[in-house]
Amino acid sequence: MENKTGYYSVAASTVTSILIVVLFYIFAIQKVGSSPQYTYTDVYAGMFYVFLLSMIVSASIWPGVIEKRLKKQ
Amino acid sequence: MEDVLIKIKGMMCEHCEKKVSEAATSVKGVNKASSDHKKGQVKVSYDTSITDLEDIKKAIAASGYEVIDEEEACPVPVKQAVALPPVKEEAKSGGIQKTTLKLTGMTCASCAQNIEKVLNKIDGVKKATVNFSVEKATIEYDAGKVNPAAFENAITGIGYGVAKPETILKIGGMHCASCALNIETALKKTGGITSANVSFPLEQAKIIYDPEIVSIPEIKKAIENVGYTASEKVDKTEADREQRARESEIKKQKINFIIAAALAVPISLGDMGRNLGWAFVPEVLKNDYLLFILATIVMLFPGRQFFEGTYKGLKHGVTDMNLLIATGTGAAYVISAAATFLDLGEAYKHTYYDTAALLIMFIVLGRYLEALTKGKTSEAIRKLMGLQAKTARILVNGEEKEILVENVNVNDIVIVRPGEKIPVDGNVVDGLTAIDESMITGESIPVEKTVGSEVIGATMNKTGMIKFTATKVGADTALAQIIKLVEDAQTQKAPIQKLADIVAGHFILAVHVLALATFIFWFFIGFEYFNVPATFGMGMISPFLFSLLISITVLIISCPCAVGLATPTAIMVGTGKGAENGILIKGGEALERAQKLDTVVFDKTGTLTKGEPSLTDVIAIKGAENEILKLAAVAEKGSEHPLGEAILKGAKVRGIEIPDAQSFKAIPGRGIEVKFGGKRVLVGTRKLMTENNMDITPQNSRMEELENQGKTAMLVSSDNEIVGIIAVADTLKEHSKEAVSELHNMGFTVAMITGDNRRTADAIAKQVGIDIVLSEVLPEEKASQIKKLQAEGKKVAMVGDGINDAPALMQSDVGIAIGSGTDVAIESAQIVLIKSDVRDVAKSIRLSKLTLNKIKQNLFWAFFYNTVGIPIAAGILYPFTDPPFLLNPALAAAAMATSSVSVTLNTLLMKRIKL
Repeated sequence: MENKTGYYSVAASTVTSILIVVLFYIFAIQKVGSSPQYTYTDVYAGMFYVFLLSMIVSASIWPGVIEKRLKKQ
Repeated sequence: MEDVLIKIKGMMCEHCEKKVSEAATSVKGVNKASSDHKKGQVKVSYDTSITDLEDIKKAIAASGYEVIDEEEACPVPVKQAVALPPVKEEAKSGGIQKTTLKLTGMTCASCAQNIEKVLNKIDGVKKATVNFSVEKATIEYDAGKVNPAAFENAITGIGYGVAKPETILKIGGMHCASCALNIETALKKTGGITSANVSFPLEQAKIIYDPEIVSIPEIKKAIENVGYTASEKVDKTEADREQRARESEIKKQKINFIIAAALAVPISLGDMGRNLGWAFVPEVLKNDYLLFILATIVMLFPGRQFFEGTYKGLKHGVTDMNLLIATGTGAAYVISAAATFLDLGEAYKHTYYDTAALLIMFIVLGRYLEALTKGKTSEAIRKLMGLQAKTARILVNGEEKEILVENVNVNDIVIVRPGEKIPVDGNVVDGLTAIDESMITGESIPVEKTVGSEVIGATMNKTGMIKFTATKVGADTALAQIIKLVEDAQTQKAPIQKLADIVAGHFILAVHVLALATFIFWFFIGFEYFNVPATFGMGMISPFLFSLLISITVLIISCPCAVGLATPTAIMVGTGKGAENGILIKGGEALERAQKLDTVVFDKTGTLTKGEPSLTDVIAIKGAENEILKLAAVAEKGSEHPLGEAILKGAKVRGIEIPDAQSFKAIPGRGIEVKFGGKRVLVGTRKLMTENNMDITPQNSRMEELENQGKTAMLVSSDNEIVGIIAVADTLKEHSKEAVSELHNMGFTVAMITGDNRRTADAIAKQVGIDIVLSEVLPEEKASQIKKLQAEGKKVAMVGDGINDAPALMQSDVGIAIGSGTDVAIESAQIVLIKSDVRDVAKSIRLSKLTLNKIKQNLFWAFFYNTVGIPIAAGILYPFTDPPFLLNPALAAAAMATSSVSVTLNTLLMKRIKL
């Protein structure tokens, strides 16, 4: 079960982080279009930082949730 | 005439002894009866021509105690402090499982039957068998209906124990309370481990495990797998090893700090000098490549520990403060390196090498100071460990031989000269000396020791040479027990720590969420809304860099170190200070409960009073006082009655010579009749005198006066003429009155509980100033009396010393045992007063309050730092200040380090307070 939890957790965390990064990208691109202060460097660097923090957060949340689900099953 | 030993069940104290002895002596033909509640027996001397054993047994049974045949004897088992897990569990098909429990507390085959009976009654148990000789219970049960915890409850519920193997491992590499939680989580997930308690300040893990499922090397591996080190604790060299480990950590962090500081200064000058245009800074220092090299050295050497810790943690899905620091410093370093080597645009000309270097410098400084101060909080244990003598001199075939203290065996004859330490516990067999026991009992005046006296290992022999028989060695010595008790207390978590643990456990996650939210807010909203490019004083800056700086500051300032240190350091210093003063507090829960007490109940006998009668009054009606006392002492010389012993002792104290009487006759329930100097001497009750045709009316008022004072008064007659009155009473301990008055001053209601009659109890209570007197309480009713007080809403502390006090000690909110009391009382209590000084009751409560207040202060400051620091770090002041205020990440690191150090220093202030 431990292996399953680990596998599902990595998958869930990566998907969650990618979703957050995509959202960030969508909003950031709009900013680049609307304000000269924003550059693509800001967007890409921001995406990297947001992905890093999202991974840390979701990797802390998902294992517990998945373990509970697997136990119930 | 025949002497016989009768086994009795149900005797709990001296009152019971008295009752049983009186019941036996009330039988015509019984000359003498002396009971011993500890051995559960009564020794009866009787005339076989007048009575028989059955009549005596009937009389004893009529007094309310059970007479048992020796082969049936099954003493009440002592409840073990430990209890736990199944030794083996085997799954069987169809949900039926089999488990084996290792049992403790069984003394005979009927104990095994009792356990079997109670186990078989549990719903879901198919079959339970208990083997007395191997002390194991094998249970087949339906796992769907019942779990092994129910078996343990059932067994402990009837007074037996379930043994558990326990080990303590030294843990290395922990940096905060989250690390301790990570290890606990990893251990609890390991099969075969039923309980794991990791102490961050003590750097040790207490683990209860099943050796048939998991081995010590496997446990160590589980700890190492999450990035920490584990080693078995060797008690013998523990003090040295702990000291070495502490010194090594201090040295490591000191070197790290020196490197970080030496590099952070030029990096900061260069980076800030270039950004702010400082002309005094040499151009060479402003070079990006040089700054990159210097910052890389900082990251690789002093900073490596944070990245290593993060990597090890993440590999196993755990997070700690290393992650916060690694994310913060890593982000600052990476963005600066990118700006150095890549062309990211005009807004990316700034580098933040100074931020990364200063962050690491301040955090390493914090760790260095923390290592320095943390060592001081566990000083008490180290002091205790250091007290142990290294060698002992024993007699082997009449010759002295010096051996290592751990090689001393029980019954060895040990020789100790003046100025030497007593190596182990024992009984003096030769010599006279004074021993300084202050290191164990806190008592500053040396105690005189002579043949028969007990000596305690680790105390200092002052004046004479003594020989003693070793009675307790190794882990059984008083010192080893004290160390274990203090260590256990320090490893246990106080309920208030749960809050800190919850916060510390979820803090890292919460901080990352907060850092992400802060970044997103400033990137999308704050940067434009507050017109940062125009208002921020650092020139042109990109939205990403600005938001990143704020986000890093939030990560750095939020470290939960201080929250994690707040409770355990205070408990360590509090329990350590207690141990130094002869007060052993068994864990944080006792400290917390003591805070809420409002009523202190004292057991009378042995606690407020000396527990043994002594001569109080000699009233001469005819002749001199000493003559009356001599007559009484001569009469009592052949008696084994405690009252007789008190009279004899009193006479000896007055220097009276006590010759033997010509004949001796004990008159059960009345007194004694002897022939002395040709005269018939009677010592005893009014009834004895009236039955011998003496008029007691003139003495009645004096007798009553003495009895109203709680004394036992006896008449003395010579040749059928009353010549005097002798009174004996259980006298108050020297400091009882002072102890009660101190508790009154602290606002406590003081009660006294005793089996004595109302008159005696009131007399004693009046002398010490007791508020509530609970008299004529049978031993088994003491707990219910405490319960009654609790039902009235009172928070009750019970102070006692005897086996009969144990249930009341358990029932009370805080049980306080007098150190000279029975082992059962000491086990049942949460606080033990080693010095047996009742004044220490107030001291122990004061210490508990002091410790809890310190915990509260620490938690307040720890939370205060974060509560105030996080919003400021997140830029809450930016819109409201002119020029806009933003907390520098380096300042955040300094504040974080300060919070840990200030919490520890605040705790250490406790050491200076006199109890």
